[in-house]
Amino acid sequence: MNGIALDSTTVMLLMPIAIIQIILAIVALIDLVRTEETYGPKWMWLLIILFISLFGPILYFTIGRRSY
Amino acid sequence: MTILAVEQLSKSYNENLAVKDATFQFEQGRCVALLGPNGAGKTTILKMLAGLLKPTTGKIKFQHEKENADLRKYIGYLPQYPVFHDWMTGAEFLQYIGKLTHLSDSKAKQRTIELLDLVGISDAKNRRIGKYSGGMKQRLGIAQAIIHHPKLLLLDEPVSALDPFGRREVLEMIKKLKEDTTILFSTHVLNDAEEVSEDVIIINHGEIKVSNSIEQLRKQHQQAMIYVETNVQEKKQLQEWVNWDVVTDIVFENHSAQIIVSDIELAKQKILREIVEKNISIQKFEVGRTTLEDLFVKVVRG
Amino acid sequence: MKQWITLFKKEQLEMLRNFKWVWLPLVFIILGMTDPLSSYYMPRIIDAVGGMPEGTVIEMPTPQAAEVLLATVSQLNLLGVLIIVLASMGVIAAERKSGLAAMVLVKPIPIINYVTAKWLNVSLIGCVSLFVGYITGWYYTSVLFGTVSFELFLQSYVIFAIWYTFVLTLTIFFSAIFKVAGVAGFITLTIVISLSILTNIMGDYMIWSPAQLGDSVASLIMVGQLGDGFWLSLSVTVLLVVAMLFGATKILENKELE
Repeated sequence: MNGIALDSTTVMLLMPIAIIQIILAIVALIDLVRTEETYGPKWMWLLIILFISLFGPILYFTIGRRSY
Repeated sequence: MTILAVEQLSKSYNENLAVKDATFQFEQGRCVALLGPNGAGKTTILKMLAGLLKPTTGKIKFQHEKENADLRKYIGYLPQYPVFHDWMTGAEFLQYIGKLTHLSDSKAKQRTIELLDLVGISDAKNRRIGKYSGGMKQRLGIAQAIIHHPKLLLLDEPVSALDPFGRREVLEMIKKLKEDTTILFSTHVLNDAEEVSEDVIIINHGEIKVSNSIEQLRKQHQQAMIYVETNVQEKKQLQEWVNWDVVTDIVFENHSAQIIVSDIELAKQKILREIVEKNISIQKFEVGRTTLEDLFVKVVRG
Repeated sequence: MKQWITLFKKEQLEMLRNFKWVWLPLVFIILGMTDPLSSYYMPRIIDAVGGMPEGTVIEMPTPQAAEVLLATVSQLNLLGVLIIVLASMGVIAAERKSGLAAMVLVKPIPIINYVTAKWLNVSLIGCVSLFVGYITGWYYTSVLFGTVSFELFLQSYVIFAIWYTFVLTLTIFFSAIFKVAGVAGFITLTIVISLSILTNIMGDYMIWSPAQLGDSVASLIMVGQLGDGFWLSLSVTVLLVVAMLFGATKILENKELE
């Protein structure tokens, strides 16, 4: 979408989304490191969290972590 | 005073009877072993007593409570495979369980410190339970079971998952605990039962086969026995002895025979004379008594 | 009561430690932002993607603020519900499956305490997440398209939150019945979706339906009034919530915990 000029308003509007996605990924990674077990291998979740934005961390938190 | 009386207790899953008409009782202050091979129905009985399973039929009566009442406040229970919230620390979990059993905040804290010390995991109290080893979880399991000073402590195979060292320690712990409370614990190892308990209930295929004090059992079931070790060729000659009046039974193993006799003196003379006369070659001749192990094996096989 | 608070606090602590209190609100904020932003940038996106012959003029009326907010509501009603159900479906089921329920419930705890402590926690995190998502959507809409009154926003939020509570009570109910969390989640979502569809296509017969609450949210935003069957559907919803909590308690009392 190089057609959308990154004027300051656009940056202001879209910045929060980017920041939140980064926070989500970081929190998911912290949890992945600390958790004992996941459904499926940990490296798979690592890739999912890193490379699928927004839905990667959501998937990890909803169906990936196995914790009592 | 009888603390627990169980009558005609049965539990069936679909058509399968896991426990069949179990009837037993025991006194307050005793340490009772529920002994039987794996799959005998021990866990099912303990779970029914703990209120986790509903008996298909039968009665459970605890002290002055009504039959089949909710006994949870009197009972401490350690399942065979205790599980915890991995994200809590050992101390947090004990405090949580303590407060759930109506201890005040300060009392729960105090009990937590006492118990962590008693079961020997004080060093790990602030570590997450997810990082605990199997033995540490077993200890934490015992601690959570006794936090509210239960009148009856149910322990399901408390030592079977442990290495010999851990086993030793937990058995010592049970000896300490039985000074304050009545304990019913299940095991498939006779030695454990003999070591810590006063009473034993032997169960097989869901049925109670023996229920008595260990002392009584020793008296009743220990029979005079002569143990002869010989070689395979000579065994045939020994077989005839079954017909003697003085011999009750002979159990043969590879190179040996356990000759169970009614009169030890008479039998001893007769057998020794026979050995000399027939020139039977023997490696070993021993006069003794059958052990509880023999009783246990007989009950489980029969 | 003290015991109930202990159970409640434990759930709170768990949801802090497993980051539910972090990730759920954050995800809802993104859900709230999506529609106002994509509506705002739509003309420019179409422009940029192109494919139109030179000189084509696309007439795109700027949407009304209320319409944009309504789109946010649908988003929260669809993806929001999906995520909150997936996040809560194991709340009882997983503890039963792991054996923790047995560990805890051999202690003298009335089952209703266990169920309601979990229920309130799940409802709380659901309604708070909904709030932050919805207010984000409202704020972006107000900035980019013009204002929808805050009062209308609040009123519609309260009704929306009741619908969320209903959905989460369903989740708890099925989580008490099924040991497998996924099954509980699947059945909950199936019921919620069927209820919404049925309510949409045969509204006359479904005037009592809890899904009418969604209609009331929409009509509050669009025309500033509650939908026709609001009070009836509200009463039915409250009754169902209470009934399901008792139901879940009775079911757990009769379940054998392993």
